[in-house]
Amino acid sequence: MASINTTVKLDRVSKSFGEVTAVRELSLDVRAGRVFGLLGPNGAGKTTTIRMIVNITAPDSGTIQLFGRRIDAELQDRIGYLPEERGLYKKMRVADQLRFFAEIKSMRGKEVESKIDEWLARVKLSEWKNKRSMELSKGMQQKIQFITAVIHDPDLLILDEPFSGLDPVNVELLKEIVLDLKREGKTIIFSTHQMEVAEKICDDICLLNRSQKVFDGSLREIKRSFGRNAIAVRCEGGDGVLDDPALVSKVVRHADEAQALLAAGADAQTLLKRLIDSGAVIGKFEMMEPSLNDIFITKVTEPA
Amino acid sequence: MKKFLVVVKREYIQRVRAKMFIVLTILLPVMMSLFGIVPALILNIETPPMRVAIVDQTGRMYSQVRQALVSDQQEPDAQNVNAGPQRVIPRRSFSRFVLEEVNATDESLSQIRATLDQRMRARELDGYVILAPDFLSQGKAEFVNRNPGDLFSPRVLQSAINRAAREQRLIDAKVDSKTRQELFKGIELQSVKIGAGGQERDSGGSFAIVFGIGFVMYLAILLYGQIVLGAVIEEKETRIAEILFSSVRPFALMMGKLVGVSLVALTQLAIWGLAFSAFALYGVGLLASQGMMTNIPSIPLSHYIYFALFFLLGYFIYATIYALVGSMVTTAQEGGQLAMPIILILAVSFYLFWPVSRSPDSPFSFWVSMIPFSAPVAMLVRIVTQTPPFWQIALSLLIGFSSVLVIMWLAARIYRVGMLMHGKRASIPEAIRWARQA
Repeated sequence: MASINTTVKLDRVSKSFGEVTAVRELSLDVRAGRVFGLLGPNGAGKTTTIRMIVNITAPDSGTIQLFGRRIDAELQDRIGYLPEERGLYKKMRVADQLRFFAEIKSMRGKEVESKIDEWLARVKLSEWKNKRSMELSKGMQQKIQFITAVIHDPDLLILDEPFSGLDPVNVELLKEIVLDLKREGKTIIFSTHQMEVAEKICDDICLLNRSQKVFDGSLREIKRSFGRNAIAVRCEGGDGVLDDPALVSKVVRHADEAQALLAAGADAQTLLKRLIDSGAVIGKFEMMEPSLNDIFITKVTEPA
Repeated sequence: MKKFLVVVKREYIQRVRAKMFIVLTILLPVMMSLFGIVPALILNIETPPMRVAIVDQTGRMYSQVRQALVSDQQEPDAQNVNAGPQRVIPRRSFSRFVLEEVNATDESLSQIRATLDQRMRARELDGYVILAPDFLSQGKAEFVNRNPGDLFSPRVLQSAINRAAREQRLIDAKVDSKTRQELFKGIELQSVKIGAGGQERDSGGSFAIVFGIGFVMYLAILLYGQIVLGAVIEEKETRIAEILFSSVRPFALMMGKLVGVSLVALTQLAIWGLAFSAFALYGVGLLASQGMMTNIPSIPLSHYIYFALFFLLGYFIYATIYALVGSMVTTAQEGGQLAMPIILILAVSFYLFWPVSRSPDSPFSFWVSMIPFSAPVAMLVRIVTQTPPFWQIALSLLIGFSSVLVIMWLAARIYRVGMLMHGKRASIPEAIRWARQA
């Protein structure tokens, strides 16, 4: 039972549509009870990967295992899936809608009703229970859609861009729910191209670009391996120093401060000394962990 | 299987509970009876009589024409026996004429024409007929009409002049008036249908039933096919399909949809069928007691069953194609465009109703009742008019439902790919490629 800690295991999975390769030789391990970020720009192959995991499409080659087994109809009931672009039946009442999505996942009886009430209360939409979904605002509809993915208490929850278009209050609400589910021991696959969001909730990540894996692993380890090579600087003067390619590989200037990535072989001490020597007045000089965004950009622009 | 039932249940309950369903169930029979009654009412609208001058150069025809027209107006049905029951339009309103004789001896024909044209321009006259001196031998008359768009009056006039000419020729041939009356005595043609219990009297009621059944069949297939189209497009547009595909096999989803909607249709048809039977049983008596004679022939129970079977056949053929189309398009508008050929085929198969009802036993009727696309209407019309041998009905159903399976198999292969494709409408070659993919 070595696979007990691995909820989803992909082994050299490939999928192409006609001449377009969507996913190439992808191997992944999604560990149980963790939030796994499937990251990458649009068109990287995230949605195709997810569709193969939930058994909507079959891979051309390679194998996919869920809960240590090959995917089948029965296992589908243990997955909750919220696709990126999703909708509801416009004219159906919220409660009927949720009941249908619970029943399609083989839930039956009184449990369904109590779950509907419980989840509606949790996302603060109890009074909308008997409204038609077309009467709901977009944000409310998104919360109902979220419930359709979790109402049957799945062991594996797959969320594709769950927060897009939500206001900050509701993002916070859903994020808390996702973290609660993680604490309950659920495995969560979280797909997004927004690195800042992923950075806050993912334990592990896998970065896809152009249908291939760029890297994967625990978020903390990845960050550590990249070292503290990003520096936030606020200073007057000394601009020429930040533009020296021997010291700084990349500089991004914001309103009153700049972010500099150290060039290979350069160190922060040298940079600071050079800035002082150039007569710059330094207000801030802070070494930072690289953001996921920086790592991503570095990685995808790196020559292979 | 259980998930299939969940889909069926949702489809059925949501639709039967919808206001639309209730409104349609009540409104359609009302509309259909209106379609039956309103044209009759419109055709009954009194129009002012047509003023026609007869320029009788033979000198013998005017009184005969006048008499023929008068008899037309008194007994409109007498000349109408061969026209069949579909000519229920009362012709009385089109045969009202005010005749006047124009003296053709004093002036030349061109002078008379000039005067009459003048009067027509002044709207004192609606038209005139010129009967040339050799009219009785040549049989050619001229009708100048102020309103050439009027298709009915010339026909009525022609038939009256025709009879008048015949009458006059007989008088010229010295046939006495008693013999003439005998010769022109109208006959009565009574339609008789051979039923299971021997001969039954039938006065056109059957035709109405055949037409009604064919029309309801056509309408129900069209309506519920469109509902399936809309349902499939909704799930594709809202991307609910993607969530559902992660829970239930695409084939089960498509079938659940088709079966769910078919149950809605059967529910509605059953309501209409029961209402009709109740009307046939009680309503007719009630109307009769009020002095309104309505003739509704009794429909054997087997016909109801055949109706249901052939409805299901037609529904599954067309609705499955609608589901296929729905999975290929991205919006309801596109769906409407791509569905046009289907509606055309359906409409053609409905119009086949006429030739089939006229000769239900012809080879033509046989073949169209075997082709799955036209079988539902064609075979049903044959069953109601001259029930064909049972093996033909069974064969038609067998061919039909086998075709349904083939179409479903094909549709399912396109459906499972098409439902996940967004952005643009799939082309036919693309759809064929999807169908070929394993």
